[in-house]
Amino acid sequence: MSNIVRLAIRNLNRQHDEWRMEMSYVERLTRVEFTNLSKVLYPEKRITKAKVIEYYVKMAPRMLGILADRPMVLTRFPDGVGSEGFYEKDLPLGTPSWVQRFKTYSEAAQREINYVVCNDLDTLIWLANLAALELHMTLSKTDELEKPDLVLFDVDPRPPADVYNVIDVTLLLKERLEALGLRSYVKTSGKKGLHVVVPIAREYSFSQTREFVHQIAKYLSKESSTVVSEFSKVKEPRTVYVDYLQNSHGRTMICPYSLRAVPQATVSMPLSWHDVKKGLKPEKFTLFNAVESPSNPWERLFEDKQKLKV
Amino acid sequence: MEEQNVHIPKRPFWSGTVTIGLVSVPVKLYTMTFDKAFSFRFLHKQDGQPLKYQKVCVKENKVVPWEDTVKGYEVTKNHFIVFEKEELRAAEPQSSQKIRIDKFVDYLSVDPIYFEKSYALTPDKNDEAYSLLLTALQTMQKAGAGKITLRTKEYPVLLHAYKGALVLTTLRYAYEIADPGSLEELKELKEPEKKELDLAKKIVADLSGDFDITEYKDGYEERIRQLISKKMKGETIVAERPVKEEAKELMVALQETLKQLKEK
Repeated sequence: MSNIVRLAIRNLNRQHDEWRMEMSYVERLTRVEFTNLSKVLYPEKRITKAKVIEYYVKMAPRMLGILADRPMVLTRFPDGVGSEGFYEKDLPLGTPSWVQRFKTYSEAAQREINYVVCNDLDTLIWLANLAALELHMTLSKTDELEKPDLVLFDVDPRPPADVYNVIDVTLLLKERLEALGLRSYVKTSGKKGLHVVVPIAREYSFSQTREFVHQIAKYLSKESSTVVSEFSKVKEPRTVYVDYLQNSHGRTMICPYSLRAVPQATVSMPLSWHDVKKGLKPEKFTLFNAVESPSNPWERLFEDKQKLKV
Repeated sequence: MEEQNVHIPKRPFWSGTVTIGLVSVPVKLYTMTFDKAFSFRFLHKQDGQPLKYQKVCVKENKVVPWEDTVKGYEVTKNHFIVFEKEELRAAEPQSSQKIRIDKFVDYLSVDPIYFEKSYALTPDKNDEAYSLLLTALQTMQKAGAGKITLRTKEYPVLLHAYKGALVLTTLRYAYEIADPGSLEELKELKEPEKKELDLAKKIVADLSGDFDITEYKDGYEERIRQLISKKMKGETIVAERPVKEEAKELMVALQETLKQLKEK
């Protein structure tokens, strides 16, 4: 046998010994190079990063459709929930070249921002590996950033108002939307509130959708004494705020099925409307059981492009 | 990758003297033959890490360190006579550092079936005696027959001239070789007919030639060598770290999701 081959074999063996890269069989299935898989990200529930990634892998078929072509804002917790997390709008350092990105001017930041766009499974896995527990997405898409395809009603209680008040207000909102001929979708925020989303044709500006939500919020505040529709009144206790301001350029919504960075590892869980009734406990939807929900109530979200009367 | 030579190692592995009656020829021994220098290592399929062999106690299912091992001779099944390492060492033959030649024989009269391993001899310190012995064997086409003690075993040996060197070949003992004549199938062979035998002889004559070992190549080894160079050019060989338990579940999830996404 030639010496060159012998040398080659010896080198291969040496590489086996010397390479200490974060590689494994798993990673042949993805381009992501995993790091610190055994790091605990939810100390109270002993959830490791591997489990978080596994969760997003399992939810990917339900998430990738709605995430597609939307700039994202990440909330990263490299040292786990309970330690300091940080918002990240710009691409993180060392972003692999295969991650899609979208550059645009941010009015809030007064500068150009390179957003991550999650259009494939590998990007979702990569985000999870960054400990980006919370995935926030814009209400419009990159090709027409000023024309939202989603209208968001963020129904949020102020203590001691609680989930019962939120459910009442949300059902009232649903009725109102139905009266206007609009189909709406509901999900838990993963915290105390509920989110109601109306998919629309991309014909309206953010100021139009924002005003639309504002008008309905004002209507609800007349119908129900608990509802407040104005930001200035948010601090009033025992109220439910219907936030319309999120329907703005550069603002985001927590993505359906995204984890939340709270100790219980809750998720923003899409619901069927018939689940929204007395007894609904938003906090019971967590990393552990979200996977088991048999179907995605938001599956038909984009099926018809609804028109608003503005 | 063309080069196929087997090189003689840099260091002798034995040195001593060839003794013929009262004559001594100081020599060094170099290994000259190599069994399949080509070998694979066993790896763990899932993570690609090298595997090692360990001595595990059958009863306790525990790894036993070398100091705690002894050697046993199995008298009957599962019944052993135990030997400490020192006992065996005491019984080892004295390595005399000598190759004792008893007589000279016709090299070609020794059937190669006895040949085991060959070693190249070189002169140690003084090369006059070496040169003399080499030239004598060369011109007379003779080989010295005798004995050497290597490590714990005594071997019959043959010393002959080969390509300008003295070469020592260890031989197998008579009892280490079976007599093929005792195989049942060979006991009642039919005599061939004359016509057939003539034809067979003609074929043999037609295909006769000089023997050239370099005409023979190990096809398997060559294919493996090709695969190695391909893989070295950058495919699929990856050094890896052990896959942790939790990463395994992640892998299963990943496979399932990839399948689901493909079906969509």
